[in-house]
Amino acid sequence: MKLFILAVGACLLLAGCEGNFPKDPERTLEKAKQDQLVVGYSENPPWVVKGDTAPTGIEPDLVRAFASSIGARVRWQNDTEQKLFEDLEEKKVHLVIAGITQKTPWKKKVALTRPYLKQGKEKHVMAAIRGENAFIVALERFLHAQEPQLKQTLGHETDR
Amino acid sequence: MKQIDNFEYPQGLRDDFKKAKKLEWITIGYLITTALAMYLTMGNSQAMKTAWFEDLLSLTPSVSFLIASRIFFKSPNRDFPFGYHRVVSIAYLCSALALFSIGTFLVIDSVITLAMREHATIGTVVVLGHQVWLGYLMIAALLWGTFPAIILGKKKLPIAEKLHEKNLYTDAKMNKADWMTAAAAIFGVLGIGMGWWWADSVAALVISVDIVHDGFNNLRQAVYDLMDQVPMTVDNQKRDPLIEKVKETLAGQSWVKDCNIRLREEGHIYLGEGFVIPAREDNLTQLIEEASREVRQLDWRIQEFVIMPVEKLPKEEKA
Repeated sequence: MKLFILAVGACLLLAGCEGNFPKDPERTLEKAKQDQLVVGYSENPPWVVKGDTAPTGIEPDLVRAFASSIGARVRWQNDTEQKLFEDLEEKKVHLVIAGITQKTPWKKKVALTRPYLKQGKEKHVMAAIRGENAFIVALERFLHAQEPQLKQTLGHETDR
Repeated sequence: MKQIDNFEYPQGLRDDFKKAKKLEWITIGYLITTALAMYLTMGNSQAMKTAWFEDLLSLTPSVSFLIASRIFFKSPNRDFPFGYHRVVSIAYLCSALALFSIGTFLVIDSVITLAMREHATIGTVVVLGHQVWLGYLMIAALLWGTFPAIILGKKKLPIAEKLHEKNLYTDAKMNKADWMTAAAAIFGVLGIGMGWWWADSVAALVISVDIVHDGFNNLRQAVYDLMDQVPMTVDNQKRDPLIEKVKETLAGQSWVKDCNIRLREEGHIYLGEGFVIPAREDNLTQLIEEASREVRQLDWRIQEFVIMPVEKLPKEEKA
């Protein structure tokens, strides 16, 4: 019993001291920082709008800002939502944006971020690889910080 | 039809019985809060899901104790001449079966999760304006599910032995063993944090195997009870020493040449028969009455003891 308390305490201490906790089983966050962040997108205005070379819209802007916050380059990959989710399951892309809401039927196969914006019943999320917890935590922290600003600019726009 | 006597705990144990009931109500309230805490923090961790099931399951002994305790005091009547004591054994069987079957389901579920190489995702949540990793909240919920449970278990154990109450005993044992579940689940959550995707399902597997183990032991005991196994001490270690005492008491009667006995358990109480070869036949009825009373006075658990004079003893028992 005392051993148990000691063990849990030691683990927590270790986890707390070590800056990068939780970690990714597949090192997604490290790969993104060292190499590039592979982002799949599928058009769904106003969230994702297809551009000439790179997408524009609310979500691509967020992803670009996130990438620069962790010092990663973004490689964009355009496809249908179906194909992108399959790629995400096979870990070929790191992140998928397509104006997804929490209701997506893919939620069992991928990891959805916590909603970065709520509009009535629609909770907007992005999709990442399941279990890549360091990456998900980093992304969620970034998105959470953007929430007040997003609410201000988008809240009015879509209330109409 | 001859009915057995009304049963009540002896004066000295009534307070313990009241205390047991109170402790079980506290347990139920407490387990509901831990189940709620675990449900809210569960995320998609398999270990948390298993620990949550374990928590819900550990409600069954307390609930069945409280339900049975409303029924077993009912007086024997025309339709139930042996009274309602066996309700305790039936309640015990039900909780053991629940434990065993859900445990089996969870073992299969965890093996599938492990085989599919499922990676559990644990993200962040915002609590009171602070964004925290959900894993830490899981650990907090698991710790809340541990320490009060151990204290409750320690309080219930001695009462269960005094009252000869198996549901209560199982419950106390499970409460006391709860820390192992929590330890395994915490290992799972911290393992996920370390980037070991397998830690979660391995922890879940350990917990579910433990549930099956508990379930199997209790199921076996419950079935034995309903098959009228010889009375065992509540901690299931050995034959109740009371059996020997009854035999000695009967053999010690001056008018008894030879005797043999048979006891069975009905819930908290024992019923039984003694077969005696009397040394002399005069005044036999009165002697039998007196001996039977003496046996009943040995312990409150012996509710009825029938003595039957015979010419030859039934065959000696096989080992």
